[in-house]
Amino acid sequence: MPLPDTLKLVKDFSRPSIAFAIARAPKSNQIFLGSSDFKVSAGDLTATKFEPKDLYAHASYVTGVALAGETLVSGGYDGKLTWWDTKNAKAIRSVEAHAKWVRKVVASPDGKRIASVADDMLCKIWDAEAGKLIHTLKGHEEKTPTFFVSMLYTVAYSVDGKYLATADKVGHVVIWDATTGKELSSVEAPTMYTWDPKARMHSIGGVRSVAFSPDSKWLAVGGTGKIGNIDHLEAKARVEVFDWQAKKQVAEFVADKSQGIVNRLEFAKDGSWLLGAGGAGEGFLIFMDVAGKKIIKQEKAPMHVHDFVLSDAADSLVLAGHNKVSQYKLG
Amino acid sequence: MPRNFFCGSTDHALTRRSFLGAATFAGIGAATGMSSLNALAAPDLAKDLKKNQKRVILLWLAGGASQLETWDPKPGAVTGGPFRAIPTDVPGIHISELMPEMAKRMKTTCIIRGLDTKNGDHGGGAKLMTRGRRDESGVKYPDLGAVVAREMGRAESKVPDYVTFYSQTEGRISGDSGFLGSRYAPMELTSGNSPEFLKRLDGINELDHQQRADLRDMFSKQFSREHSSNTLASHNEAYERVRGIMASETLFDITKEPQKIRDKYGKTQLGEQALIARRLVEAGVPFVRVARAWWDSHGQNFETHQEMVPELDHVMATLTDDLKERGLLDDVMIVTLAEFGRTPGINSSLGRDHFASAWSMSMTGGGIKGGSVYGKTDDKGQKVIAEEVNAANLFATIYSALGINPHKNYYVGARPIPLVDPGAEPIKSVVG
Repeated sequence: MPLPDTLKLVKDFSRPSIAFAIARAPKSNQIFLGSSDFKVSAGDLTATKFEPKDLYAHASYVTGVALAGETLVSGGYDGKLTWWDTKNAKAIRSVEAHAKWVRKVVASPDGKRIASVADDMLCKIWDAEAGKLIHTLKGHEEKTPTFFVSMLYTVAYSVDGKYLATADKVGHVVIWDATTGKELSSVEAPTMYTWDPKARMHSIGGVRSVAFSPDSKWLAVGGTGKIGNIDHLEAKARVEVFDWQAKKQVAEFVADKSQGIVNRLEFAKDGSWLLGAGGAGEGFLIFMDVAGKKIIKQEKAPMHVHDFVLSDAADSLVLAGHNKVSQYKLG
Repeated sequence: MPRNFFCGSTDHALTRRSFLGAATFAGIGAATGMSSLNALAAPDLAKDLKKNQKRVILLWLAGGASQLETWDPKPGAVTGGPFRAIPTDVPGIHISELMPEMAKRMKTTCIIRGLDTKNGDHGGGAKLMTRGRRDESGVKYPDLGAVVAREMGRAESKVPDYVTFYSQTEGRISGDSGFLGSRYAPMELTSGNSPEFLKRLDGINELDHQQRADLRDMFSKQFSREHSSNTLASHNEAYERVRGIMASETLFDITKEPQKIRDKYGKTQLGEQALIARRLVEAGVPFVRVARAWWDSHGQNFETHQEMVPELDHVMATLTDDLKERGLLDDVMIVTLAEFGRTPGINSSLGRDHFASAWSMSMTGGGIKGGSVYGKTDDKGQKVIAEEVNAANLFATIYSALGINPHKNYYVGARPIPLVDPGAEPIKSVVG
């Protein structure tokens, strides 16, 4: 696996909109973006001029894109999931998937399932080909302890596809059997949720990213630390790692040079490092050694990062974020 | 012993000062008893009565709520954010999808979308938008609450004239009666929902309290039989007022409300304080401010508004329905207002910053023409393109709807001070 200190920016592309979600066709330079202009677009990283082509649109922000084979599935604040045939460039179906805003869409490693999470506080598992709903996972409260609406921010599959993890605003993280939809375990990361009852009477934060270690033993959870002035994302980026079966925290990382929220996490395929990306007013990348319980590298990103794709060989990293797409290489 | 024709009913007390005041205006001259007046023959009296029935609940959205996530959505614009616009029960009017309950009640509400108030500073903006004008050297203007207290309050009232709730610490602004003086200063609640100093001391029971009042009353009457004193009347009024306000403590107690009403308003602080506000205006309190801090979403604007706007929507809708069911909505105006709005531009933290150039407020009930929108912003919400409103026009409109002449003068010494900035006019099309 390439080492984090070999990270190097290759190219930077300006975008007129905020890119919230990115997917990359395997062994390809084609990427798919879901953005704040409501569009799902496709672009070629090797093009002389990076000008993604709009494929179709949702009725609001597109917050999740996932590839299941040659099928792209996107989700957005319109509550819909759209299936798109990337080979033949045509729509397959659009489903009224959730009653509220879709926050994330992921594909199972074998490409047979799609998982979506939304602010109806449900995780739904779909047949990637037929588009049929298979399971509805209910494990997150609709309201916070102070009676306000909550949000269900993120979902991830384990590398072997056996498990799913979902995480919400108040720091409640649930691990599921991905085949049966049964709840297996849960852990809590309440530090990532700040409720201010005294000065401002609202909250900020929440768990925004989850990632399983390659052996599925650990679950990394990303967000931000406790915030004093919740008008801003002013706390340091924060990652906690759990032995989710033992319900025990095994590592905690506070990135002293990185302010903001960790929107995306992924382990290297050999587990030697964990990458987190996010931002506040600016963006960051954080490489962590979970076994060694130390931060390996913190790097300023060209923008607040909302998502990234990391190649299987971890030699190519593409970031999607606020008005930019940035391409890095490692190794 | 002089006979007291006053029956003691609150309804009749409501009109008593008006009778006396309007009788003076009508040139009849002040009277000490009601039997010498033919009140119904005086048209100014009828108008005065109508004015005196109006009350205001101000929902102060401290910190600056986003107009794009409430009253003036721009879905699909680069500035629009993720939330969509939804139709309301008034054809042609759309508001944010975060306000589905008020969308069903737009017939009661007027939205002003063309606010351009030019002050994007919390302190300065708050002063401007609570007074309708900027202070000037040597003149401290009273805020809206103090003016309404002055215009609608009753000398013998057994309830406060101006109550304000501001429970959060951020951006807390006190009510300010300015040159109107302490008589019109608010009862301020900054911790808890009940006034701190209304309770009797523990060592004084109700019987003691009443007997002390009776003793004071006896001495007062004895004194007045043998002496002439202007101060005595003023003292008597003050004591009666204090006793009345002490008795109004129960108005702040929401456990006196049926549980189903409490459940409707909900368990949040805003819900509980809005319910208390309803109790207060129902009892005749002319002005109640309920501050909901703190909307200053420089980071994570959409998360903040997703959390806070549904609460506002629900509480406002519940309050509107509650007032309507009690026959009060024509007389009680609900105002949502802040020091400014928020930028159309979305920053890197997915936040919106201060913006006073094109923002919105709302008025419901109380003399306002419901189902109306005044003012229009461009397709990105960056500027007002029609029917621009400044703070002075807005306050002239509010006063006018309440039956208060916005062009009347107060006096600071011999200097006449108009109620609103000279030249400011009410928006006639929204005054019912």
